[in-house]
Amino acid sequence: MDESELAPKFAPFIGMAGIASAMIFGCIGAAYGTAKSGIGIAGVGTFRPDLIMKCLIPVIMSGILAVYSLVISVLIAEDLQPPSAQSYSLFTGFMHLACGLSVGLTGLAAGYCIGIVGDGGVRAYMEQSRIFVGMVLILIFGEVLGLYGLIVALILNTKSKG
Amino acid sequence: MATRRIANSERTVLEKDDNGPEEKSDIAPAVPKDVIYKLLGFTLAMVVLPIGSYFATVNTVFNGNASYAGGLAAVLANVVLIWYIIVAMNEDQSDRMETKKDK
Repeated sequence: MDESELAPKFAPFIGMAGIASAMIFGCIGAAYGTAKSGIGIAGVGTFRPDLIMKCLIPVIMSGILAVYSLVISVLIAEDLQPPSAQSYSLFTGFMHLACGLSVGLTGLAAGYCIGIVGDGGVRAYMEQSRIFVGMVLILIFGEVLGLYGLIVALILNTKSKG
Repeated sequence: MATRRIANSERTVLEKDDNGPEEKSDIAPAVPKDVIYKLLGFTLAMVVLPIGSYFATVNTVFNGNASYAGGLAAVLANVVLIWYIIVAMNEDQSDRMETKKDK
């Protein structure tokens, strides 16, 4: 396709930066959440092995954060085509970058929150079983941060097609 | 001298085997099998369900509207999480009931 002021050559680069940032930042968050809460679970498991099943909830939530990033990356990647087939405007490129950054960085924030709350929460749960409901609630509120990023990214991705 | 024992037939300390007959060591997994299957099932569901549902529905149910399919994938991931929390709670209750029965 022809190059124009609205669709310069470097526009796909910005869109691909969106894909990469969604995956990279989201997975950094998910990895931190899994690792930090995994340390706590290993500490609890040596004293109360029967609690491990319930203590694995932060790990599952970190996995969900990675799924959010994955979904957005797949969505953006499906909109990209080789330059011969599609005119990719700069507007679309920045839209995709915003998509990727919003889901990636909220995933990073949510993963950081889940890691710290998961580590402290499971250790506290070992001493006092009533803390479980509170821990799960805090974890859900932390994970919802990533969900907000996903919703914004989905809306941006829909707009970028129009 | 009459009380002296005949020491030849007895074993000395060095010859005695402390361990007795060799016992088989317990190598069965400490985690019951159904728990392992449960965790494997959740792992599989977490890996396959969200992204699989996206690709299954994007061109069939939603007619190429990728946003709805992506939303469905996110919803399914949360369904797996809630399902896991429910299963974990139930397991705790069944454990408690078993310990009550034992008492």
